[in-house]
Amino acid sequence: MTSACEATTRALPGAAVIELSGEVDGSAAAILTEAYERAVTAGPENHDTVVLDFAAVDYINSTGIALIVSVLAKARAERRKVVASGLSPHYREIFDITRLSDFIELFPDLDRAVSQLTHPAA
Amino acid sequence: MTQVAPRRLDTFTLASEPGNERLALARVAGTVKDVGLSDARLERLKTAVAEATMNAIEHGNGNHPEIPVEVEVTQDGDEIIVAISDRGGEIHPDTSEHEEPDLVRKLDGDQSPRGWGLFLIRNMVDAMDITTDGQRHTIWLTMRTGGAA
Repeated sequence: MTSACEATTRALPGAAVIELSGEVDGSAAAILTEAYERAVTAGPENHDTVVLDFAAVDYINSTGIALIVSVLAKARAERRKVVASGLSPHYREIFDITRLSDFIELFPDLDRAVSQLTHPAA
Repeated sequence: MTQVAPRRLDTFTLASEPGNERLALARVAGTVKDVGLSDARLERLKTAVAEATMNAIEHGNGNHPEIPVEVEVTQDGDEIIVAISDRGGEIHPDTSEHEEPDLVRKLDGDQSPRGWGLFLIRNMVDAMDITTDGQRHTIWLTMRTGGAA
């Protein structure tokens, strides 16, 4: 009934995308950290925005929230912006309660996040 | 007016192994699926049950599989009460020295990124209480079936 966290990364113009699946809990620490490093160093250009896509994530617990906080802290120290997409209404509420949504812009889905980031005037 | 006695809906135990909070979450969700909780409130209760069970496994029972976590689900009128018990006693690391999580301080490195469990529980349910009786440490989670989504 449990599914380990997996992360795939890809580079877009100006943004690095990390697509997460499975469960974001304490056991996902190495996966998330490595995915972040892989994503921001992929391709020739600097990625000043990191997109975390949660569309295929079915569970986030308090230790997963702690991992997201760590990724956000690292990104901010490197002057990168973090945005999130694909959160269910329940996890959007948790992002609001924890105030993560004060620091991470939320998009309904990855397409809209990418569209906004690559065509900000649209 | 007739007083309806509280009704026990389920009681079970879990081995104190990391990850077993998912078993508690799934079983409680199945037990209360027809009591009238909205989807949003059911999701909140599931998160609270998972976090409380995780605390019981890790902090209360020290991840010792042979020490069980006990879970009891009761309906009392329009309230669903989930009681989660461990053997952590009064000195319960998760509740005895708990600092309110502050995201800004965490981002500045002044506070550990962790420490969200009890905060989430409090914000997910209508009421939360903690009792100890000797070594038995119980967290009580109350969710009203008629509450706003």
